[in-house]
Amino acid sequence: MDTDGLNDALGLSNEKSQNLGAYIYQPPKHGKSAGERPSKRRKVSSTVDNDHQPERRRFVPLLNGDENVKSVQLRYDTYQELWSKQENKIQDILEDVDAGVLTNVLSFVRDTSPQTCDGCIPTALVTVGSNVSSLSRLLSRLNGQLILTEEGSVVVLESGDAPNLKTTLKNIIRATITNTDGNDGYQKFLTDRAGPRLLGYDLDLLHDYVQRKGTKKLVLALRDSEAFDPGLLTDLLSLFKSWLDRIPFTVLLGISTSVELFEGRLPRSCVALLRGKHFEVQEAGNCVDRIYETLQTDPGTNLWLGRNVTTTLFENTSDYFQSPEAFSRMVKYAYMSHFFANPLAVLLANPGPTSLTRNKLCEAVRNLPSFRMFCEDLVEEGSVKQVRDLLEDDEYLIQETPKYLDANQQRMRNMFQTVRVVHICLEYTQSAKKTNISDLSVRALSGELSESTILEEMVATAKTLDSDKLDELLVHLRGILVSPEADVIQEDLRTLLETCSESGPLRSGYNINSTVTKTTVVQQRIRLSKGQADISEQAVEYTNIVDRLVALLQVHLTESLINPQDLFLHEAFLFDLRNPLKETFAPRPRFAIERALATPFDYLLSSSDITMTKVSSKQPATAILYQLYLDSGALVNVHDLWQAFYGVFETEEADVCDDRVVMSLFYSALSELKAFGVIKNSRKKTDHLAKSAWMGL
Amino acid sequence: MKRKLSDAGDQPPVSTPKRRRTALEQSNGALNGLAPNALPNGDASYEVPPSERGQSTPKKTNGISATPLQQSGLKTPTQKSKARGLFATPTKPKSAVAATPSRVKNADRSARKKSARVLFEQDEDAAWDGSERLAEEILHGDEPGTEKAGQSLAESIEPEGAEEAPEKGVKQPKRRAGRPKGARNKRSPTPEGELPAHERYFFQNRAGPVKTSNATLNKVPLLTHEEYFEKLGQYEDPCKEEKEYLQSLHHRSFPQWAFEFDEGFNICLYGYGSKRKLMDEFAEWSYNYCSSATTTPIIVMVNGYTPGISIRSIFATIVTAVMGDDAPSKLGAQPTEVLELLQSALKSREDPVTVLINSIDAPPLRRAANQALLARLAATPRIRLLVTADTPNFPVMWDISLRDQLNFVFHDCTTFLPFSAEADVVEEVNALLGRKGRRVGGKDGVGFVLKSLPENARNLYRLLLTELITLLDDGHQSDDEGAAEGGGRAGDETGIEFRLLYQKATEEFVASSEMMFRTLLKEFHDHQMITSRMDASGMEILGVPLSRDEMEGVLEDLVLG
Repeated sequence: MDTDGLNDALGLSNEKSQNLGAYIYQPPKHGKSAGERPSKRRKVSSTVDNDHQPERRRFVPLLNGDENVKSVQLRYDTYQELWSKQENKIQDILEDVDAGVLTNVLSFVRDTSPQTCDGCIPTALVTVGSNVSSLSRLLSRLNGQLILTEEGSVVVLESGDAPNLKTTLKNIIRATITNTDGNDGYQKFLTDRAGPRLLGYDLDLLHDYVQRKGTKKLVLALRDSEAFDPGLLTDLLSLFKSWLDRIPFTVLLGISTSVELFEGRLPRSCVALLRGKHFEVQEAGNCVDRIYETLQTDPGTNLWLGRNVTTTLFENTSDYFQSPEAFSRMVKYAYMSHFFANPLAVLLANPGPTSLTRNKLCEAVRNLPSFRMFCEDLVEEGSVKQVRDLLEDDEYLIQETPKYLDANQQRMRNMFQTVRVVHICLEYTQSAKKTNISDLSVRALSGELSESTILEEMVATAKTLDSDKLDELLVHLRGILVSPEADVIQEDLRTLLETCSESGPLRSGYNINSTVTKTTVVQQRIRLSKGQADISEQAVEYTNIVDRLVALLQVHLTESLINPQDLFLHEAFLFDLRNPLKETFAPRPRFAIERALATPFDYLLSSSDITMTKVSSKQPATAILYQLYLDSGALVNVHDLWQAFYGVFETEEADVCDDRVVMSLFYSALSELKAFGVIKNSRKKTDHLAKSAWMGL
Repeated sequence: MKRKLSDAGDQPPVSTPKRRRTALEQSNGALNGLAPNALPNGDASYEVPPSERGQSTPKKTNGISATPLQQSGLKTPTQKSKARGLFATPTKPKSAVAATPSRVKNADRSARKKSARVLFEQDEDAAWDGSERLAEEILHGDEPGTEKAGQSLAESIEPEGAEEAPEKGVKQPKRRAGRPKGARNKRSPTPEGELPAHERYFFQNRAGPVKTSNATLNKVPLLTHEEYFEKLGQYEDPCKEEKEYLQSLHHRSFPQWAFEFDEGFNICLYGYGSKRKLMDEFAEWSYNYCSSATTTPIIVMVNGYTPGISIRSIFATIVTAVMGDDAPSKLGAQPTEVLELLQSALKSREDPVTVLINSIDAPPLRRAANQALLARLAATPRIRLLVTADTPNFPVMWDISLRDQLNFVFHDCTTFLPFSAEADVVEEVNALLGRKGRRVGGKDGVGFVLKSLPENARNLYRLLLTELITLLDDGHQSDDEGAAEGGGRAGDETGIEFRLLYQKATEEFVASSEMMFRTLLKEFHDHQMITSRMDASGMEILGVPLSRDEMEGVLEDLVLG
């Protein structure tokens, strides 16, 4: 048989490239292997592109490929604009979070020296917990600061860099020099010295460098200290100790577990060399909450994350200990998905009507479920004419959509402001567990918050607040709860408090202390009756204020806590698809493979319309074998497996079935299952396999 | 087991070997009739229905050769009795059904005692041979007989478990001593009802012996590399169109991937099937997509499955790709050095560098240290990493900090394409089946290597083979059970002690010093023609990874050639 056919059948290319470890890709010469697809693609793009942009397009035209270039570009630009705004906010938050630890560590590094530490190595122990990424942020900023002030630099060492002492030293020295002078500087440094050439791991080199640069602090940061070999670490530290009079080392240890555990792994003699201070980095959770709050509740936000996305984001964060960066990357991906795949996203750019692919876009808008709901509501209200126009007149629809979009975006903003109001109120009313803003947002986004028990309790407790707390609350709410009524209430409260400042905090009539229970004996029966205790005039007035505030709150809550899914055009400004996000960041590869093998036709859309549920020879060989494997016990006899496998082919194509061909299929299937690690050789019996994976576990 | 040696006089009637079965029953009857006192419960044991007896008939394939018997006739029965002593420990038959077989067994046992006696007293009247063979047969009949009884027991309880043991045309090897079978150990691979996955796990892993058939692949000729490829080429894939359609679906995501790259993500593709072709296509697509008049994009392909690939070589390739002729001639031995060089070189670059890694979870790259280095590569600015992962559990390679550095987005790219370049299928399967020796290509391969070796080496190999075959022959006599069980790979277990072989080699003037001897062996080692292991006492045992037949073939060629 010809080798070409064989190679094609096996999916082997004729080049030898597949056997090379690593090589630089060169596109094949345009022969038969060039394929039609890429060239077709180029043809399409050339017809569209050649008029103006030499720059390549990043987005694909949507709406069945009919979207015009301008609106594609608009989508991309809007994405860039919106996301860069959000990203800046995230960066600010991260810097703010780190700022505390950074200043502490920086001042520690500056202030300590071997002299202050009784001749020991100054050591900063930084526990990071699960927030692993924070340390690298911290270190790079520390490095920047130290280099800026020409005090020294930070060398980051990972456990992978330290297989043995020589290599570790060499890495430290090289990293120190390249950090400031670059790679060329290092080479020059090695060669341009007087006297005999030193070996790469000679600390004399570092000494030399420190003297030349006038380095005052050389911070050596071990990012994952626990992963270092304790013996190596001991050697390294004792070596540093002996060079401490010449090289100003400061050691920074990143610790994921706890200082005690880390210390326990080191010999005492080694611990005795260190003298230091413990720093704690804030847990990732708080930081993530803050990022989320800023992203969603910021008044400048135009695109919101829906309930499903929010739950997915927080699930991932808690399940996988994600760092704040990873969290923000997921949010970024949500933004990316929205603008990449949703043609309506172009509406967020406030486009002029000319730049749109008019009729297609109108069609898309009219197909929205929210449009339908909106029209139904309009019909109920009786504005049939308007509905007709929306349905039939493209011009009118294009004119109207931005208005509705703006209005509804405003309502989203209001909603999130209200969520913040609720959050602040809860700070004062909830005593034990604090509901965080992400929980509240999830409820609000699903439209459940306005009827939730949390709110009821909140309002009930708010009534009983005393005047001091209420005052505090009102101060906090200022700027968030914007209404003239709120200002009036606050004004009134102020004046009231001024009149009776000496008598301590006022209590409202709803407070438990201001009701009294009377016990009277009437006709030999005890009657309990509650009644208002006699309360002062100020208190009555205060109660009045509280009533007004509560009424205001309730109106505000019911007004603004809408269900976002009811808003017209929410598809454009609310991203709520669980799936690209979940599968992209928390994949289930094992499930995917099991599914592909157990039900191959989920993937292979069969052109013949036989939907086969049973094992059949029409399926890929590995899938057949896997299904047989699923039916077997913990120990599998290969011979019987082979017989069963052959049986599948034998029964269906008895006439054209070559058992050696089937055998070769069996071989490839077996080797694949082995590569997946689901079977291994068993020593219990001859020609038996041990099963090592169970489906669905 | 004790054997009574009295009653030397009674002889079973002579039977012709052709009519073994009837002769057997006759002899049983005769024994019973003549010596009832020799039976523990002699009176009851003979109402055995013929059908039951039929089941315990030994198979014809256990053909007994009379020749070794005559040489060591005394030895065999004692050996057997030991083996049976283990086997017959009557711990298991507890159910009512077991009553009949046990009675049968008792009857058999009495017959066996007689036969053993016959064999013992053989030297007295060695001329008689018919009874010998019969006695032999009864002794052997014991094993398959009890197994059959056990099996029929199992069958009556769980027909579905028994049917998974197809026996057609396959020699049923004799069971090794010691595994009792019974209702207690009843076991069927598919439990009744729909069990959740974890329940099924425990069901299948519960303690006790597993019930699988004893069929082996000895009778099935295995594939060689050539045959595998030839036959696979003849196979016509019924799902070809569907697979192509699937591929085209993945194709449509290329712009999306490019966008993800632009936004600073790295990509990891997973799912069943080889994704090498997809990678190639993506490389070509992005080459065309990114190339402009002024620059050609840099794309580095890495095949992680290549045996012996090192991280350093990957980094070095990227460095050469980035720096071109400016790359220093000496890159440094440590991968970190090369990586740092690369990072500093990338600082001055605007354009991104795309690195495509096939099978990042392949064994050569799987080590934690390698993954950590790759993660650092991935975290380098302007490096775009597209990797594929084939195994189901690949995410366990990365802890959170690596995940953070890698910054992957994952896409399910199930292709259903065969792993033709990634895996050496025949080799993998041979390793899986414990036929490692196939690696050298079996008999032909060894013969080929031997031809290219000097005379001395060939002599040594001949010596080794001769010794091994002799050992095997001895083993066959002393323990024919074990040897027959080992079957095709007796060579794996049998071995000759290093010192012994050296002694023989010096005697035959093959090697004059141990140095030389070792040099010769090294050559064999390099070609994987010998195996070496330490036994319990720390002695080095040399073996040959060939089956007995193959050994004989090679030896024949050596002697004749």
